[in-house]
Amino acid sequence: MSEISKLLELRKLLLDMEDSMGLQDLSTVERDIYYVANDHARSAGTVKTTTLQDHALLANVSRPTFFRALKSLQGKGYLEHCKDSVRGYYTVKTPAK
Amino acid sequence: MQRLATETCIVSLAYLSAFFATFEILMPLQNLFFAKSAHSASLLFLPHGVRVLTAWLLGWRAPLVLLPGVSFVFFYVAGWGALTPSRLAAIAIAVCIPTLCFQLLRLLGHDLRPAPGKPPCWPCIMAVGLMIAIATSLLTNYAFGSPPMDYAAYLIGDIGGLFFLMLILMVIFRRLRSYGL
Repeated sequence: MSEISKLLELRKLLLDMEDSMGLQDLSTVERDIYYVANDHARSAGTVKTTTLQDHALLANVSRPTFFRALKSLQGKGYLEHCKDSVRGYYTVKTPAK
Repeated sequence: MQRLATETCIVSLAYLSAFFATFEILMPLQNLFFAKSAHSASLLFLPHGVRVLTAWLLGWRAPLVLLPGVSFVFFYVAGWGALTPSRLAAIAIAVCIPTLCFQLLRLLGHDLRPAPGKPPCWPCIMAVGLMIAIATSLLTNYAFGSPPMDYAAYLIGDIGGLFFLMLILMVIFRRLRSYGL
């Protein structure tokens, strides 16, 4: 695990803490999608919708809930649709608040 | 090797920052409110948080990367007295116990190491932090031959320090997010 990914793990831990304290602006499904997207984007640079859907953490999330959360994450600036790629690919962003 | 050197620099810097924040900012404040306190232990010992988070993130490499920072702090506080057997034992306890606790839990089936796709659990880290604080307090104070009051003060300081450090980091990350970083 690189220094950057350790920083991401630390950030994930503190996002979990924020969530517990009611300070986070993400729902549970949104947060799980963001975690999984972060992990995949770390190695591949981008993440595909089907990769997210197939992940164990999101296996029990219904399709409508999943796509609602995905859209919400784009709206909040956590994910961005890849412009120079085919449909269904996203890059992970750090939103400006 | 370069990675280990980088990790050692980052962790040592974090440990020293936490130590100086504790002893130059928090302890003077503590002394204002608890002026009659008989012991000199900090009730918010931030370096414990650095030890716990380092052991969680780095596993077996943690003792090695913690050693320079922890040794420096002992030399800063005690001078050459840091080389007495009880203080050398305290250094060994401070750098080894966090990793040993995480590894012991892993052997018992509770693997808390961060991994891709694994959701983090901050209450679990706090619980391990408590376990590490108990072990460290018992062993360190036994090595020093401290009075019972110090055992409790170390324990409170370590747990408070871990929680407070995580709060500080949470605020820093929120600030960074607000600046788009």
